[in-house]
Amino acid sequence: MDNDQTTPYDIDAITAIHCADCARSDSAAYDAIPVDHMPIPTEAFAGFPDGVPTMGRLNRRRFLRNGALGVAAIYGASKIPWQNAFEAAVAEGAVGPNNVLVMLFLNGGNDGPNTFVPIGGDNAAYRTLRPTIARANDIAGRVGHTDMGLGAAGQLALPNLPGMGLPGVGFATGGNLLSLWQANQIALFPAADYPNPNFSHFTSRDWWFAGRLMKSSTGWLGRWLDAYGSTTNPLQAVSIGSNISKSIRTARNPVASIPENIAGFGFNISGSSPAVINPQVGAIAGGSAGNASTQRARSTYGQTVTVAGQLAGVAQPGANAAYPANSSLSRRLQLAAALIGANLGTRVVTIDWGSFDTHGGQIASHDPQLSILGQALAAFQADLTARGIQDRTALVAFSEFGRRGGENDSNGTDHGAGGTMWVQGAKVRGGLAGTPAPLSALVNGNLQVTTDFRSVYSALLSDWMGGDPGLILPEASPLTRADGGLLFNP
Amino acid sequence: MASTLTAQAKRTSARRPPKRRFRRQRRPPLNWADKKMTPAMVDRLFWRAGFGPRQEDRDRWVGKRVVLAVNWLLTTKPSLVGAPPSNNNAPLAPTANDTDLVLQWVDRMVRVDNPLIERLTFMWHDHFGINRNDVTPRMAQKHIELLRQLTDVTANPAADFRSLMQAVTIDPAMLRFLTGEFNVRRNPNENFAREIMELYGIGVTNEQGQPNYTETDVKELARAFSGWQINNTNAQEPVAYFTASRWDPGTKTALGRTGSFDTPQAVDVVLAHPNHAPFLVRRIWDEFVQSPPEPAMLRDLASTYVRRGLRLRPVLKKILTSRAMFESANEPNMIKSPVVFVAGTMRAMGLTITSGTPRNAMQSMGQDPYFPPDVSGWEGGQAWLDSNTAIARFRLLNDLNSDAVIDRTDATSENAQQAYDRAYAAVGKPWLAPNTVAQITAFAATQPGANIGQRRVRQRVLRALMLGGPDGQVM
Repeated sequence: MDNDQTTPYDIDAITAIHCADCARSDSAAYDAIPVDHMPIPTEAFAGFPDGVPTMGRLNRRRFLRNGALGVAAIYGASKIPWQNAFEAAVAEGAVGPNNVLVMLFLNGGNDGPNTFVPIGGDNAAYRTLRPTIARANDIAGRVGHTDMGLGAAGQLALPNLPGMGLPGVGFATGGNLLSLWQANQIALFPAADYPNPNFSHFTSRDWWFAGRLMKSSTGWLGRWLDAYGSTTNPLQAVSIGSNISKSIRTARNPVASIPENIAGFGFNISGSSPAVINPQVGAIAGGSAGNASTQRARSTYGQTVTVAGQLAGVAQPGANAAYPANSSLSRRLQLAAALIGANLGTRVVTIDWGSFDTHGGQIASHDPQLSILGQALAAFQADLTARGIQDRTALVAFSEFGRRGGENDSNGTDHGAGGTMWVQGAKVRGGLAGTPAPLSALVNGNLQVTTDFRSVYSALLSDWMGGDPGLILPEASPLTRADGGLLFNP
Repeated sequence: MASTLTAQAKRTSARRPPKRRFRRQRRPPLNWADKKMTPAMVDRLFWRAGFGPRQEDRDRWVGKRVVLAVNWLLTTKPSLVGAPPSNNNAPLAPTANDTDLVLQWVDRMVRVDNPLIERLTFMWHDHFGINRNDVTPRMAQKHIELLRQLTDVTANPAADFRSLMQAVTIDPAMLRFLTGEFNVRRNPNENFAREIMELYGIGVTNEQGQPNYTETDVKELARAFSGWQINNTNAQEPVAYFTASRWDPGTKTALGRTGSFDTPQAVDVVLAHPNHAPFLVRRIWDEFVQSPPEPAMLRDLASTYVRRGLRLRPVLKKILTSRAMFESANEPNMIKSPVVFVAGTMRAMGLTITSGTPRNAMQSMGQDPYFPPDVSGWEGGQAWLDSNTAIARFRLLNDLNSDAVIDRTDATSENAQQAYDRAYAAVGKPWLAPNTVAQITAFAATQPGANIGQRRVRQRVLRALMLGGPDGQVM
């Protein structure tokens, strides 16, 4: 399971061929069992009236008058009564907005050279190593690339995919990664990893989530939450999905997960549609009730129908937030933005997305994902701005490793070193923060590791979240940007 | 108590002017044993004492006295009817995977003819709260078998809570779950001593709000419970044993009693606490009845329980034949737990277990048997229903009504009313409010049924609206 670089793969024209390890390795990302569940009231997402809610003498019935948006699964050492948890969330939101970190894990090992394309002096090596899958402006049928404008310093381009660098596609039409880059909102580390990389999905993920090159019962952000977080507010760190990420696994303090599928929220029946079913359920729920239990049943069903209607609005992006349709990444990022905007003391959001283990047929599976990724990230940034929370939200995109410099016999790439990592946000100091790994100077076929991911974590803690990186990341060195200076603008 | 009241009332009414008769009528009898049952009452009894009525239960008991049906529940040995369960065409392997372990139990709930014992077994599971995550599958399975055996009043009319509590105390599953196996004289472990008082036996406070025990009582009792270990030679099915040298033989003073108590004696000390009887009969009452017991009823139940040696059957009989049992019979007033809802829906539809769907459904509704959230069991009650669980409940009707299930009764030329009637029969003719009937009937008229595809969708939607909607959640 450690290393499948030499394993031959069949070509699959539609989807990437995944290694067997990958099929099992979700357990590397999640493994904890929730201790409790907590409803997230609709009010929270609709936004409290004055932004600083006072929910004294909170009780379940009162607060859930308008129904629950969903149920947060709560993880932590001990069970916290629901009322206390929500009071804590509300109280923390009231203390004042703090910076928020969104950790977007690109599951499977994103391929660097086809995401940030080497041009200039390194382009010949790139095209030689990847005769079938290289981006090329001069070959018919290939995806071309657009220069990121780094001149001699970086020599990188973005592929001409809708979400990446396709010319003419910018903020006006929804935005893409190039527009974020050009707005100086992305600090890019093209080859981030750790020394002597291990090519097992399991091991690498464990280490990226732990922030240490060892097995750890806590995640790096989990340790930060234990040291600097709340003892009572599970919403301080939320994994969007039905499990928590290992990166926010704590020893003591509570954290939560919230499923992202709010778009499908409501009642439905196979062969029919929510538009038919929800009104019927609503009409039945509108009937009179003669006792507390029928009242509860009717009101819950009725409120669910109402919430389904409201969520249709929530899920719909505004003018500045053209999220790609029908994408789970869109739903997850939208929920993240809504959650941060709800002022519930949320400091960390984790999202796990994609299927980047492109061992075979890479173009067919990698490119659509890159398109969605870039568009969704641009939409997320616009969404944050529309909500007025852009200055306190930063997103980190990362993957457990990179891929080999050269393509394999299946028109894909195998597990390799030096993965793509970038930090994006309105307060981020954009630019080429790490050095591209030259494809003309591979090490055993692998990219050189030019950034230790732990030093990026270190800067995120010291410059964004607050706290002593030495306490959380004992082995991490301070970040030294290739282009100098700090990770964030003041 | 009830008979005393009646006698008193009779005596007074004979001497007083007629206006006094009005006052007597304002205190209706607490007992409805001799009431003849309406269809709604039969449904009520079988939802609360089981997992919903089968048609034969209705045919048999409507018009009969309550006490006859209750006696049947209390004396008829349960047996399973219908096809044995499977999971994706394979026989269940309950000790090999947890889904099958859960399915095995749900299957009993679905297929058992007299459901009372299964219902009680689940109540005790909720009461003791042992989680499969803390014990092996076989330990968990044996624990449930123990609960079932010791609460089976049909096999043993003298089944009593003392025997149950004594057995559970030294059940390997309990010793592991509450770390009793690590309770040694030099380092007493208070885990079980606390829970047997707080959760299992007497409660934190009495009805007047005064504390039932102190931290000293916990420490003293913990010493009495010391000395137990688990032999793991058979890792799947370990056995408990007692090592005298690990037990603290010294004098303990707990709950006002002093002695060198060993484990069985310590259990008896707890069960002799004055709040044990009110606590336990209230626990059972709440399983069956929505409204709290009237003070007279609670006193009567507690005194009966003590007088009859902590036996379960006399208490069950009084509760199941009480007037409160049938309160609001024409508009059900208790939320079905997920287990009751899922098992009840499958029972109503005549389905057997063939896949993991029932467990998945219960999980998304917030109740996974064998996996209670903590030692205090499930919160339950009104908390069962929120937006997510409502959707999960509705979706169950979608998932259970496959084309094959619907096609069992396809009728090519059925009109809207016939479609309604077919759907209503298919989900076991559940309670529906008049407004709900009108709403669904009107909706049925708008749904096409020209081809089998349309009729399938029409059936699926109608059935879901009936049993998966708000009205289907109460019993």
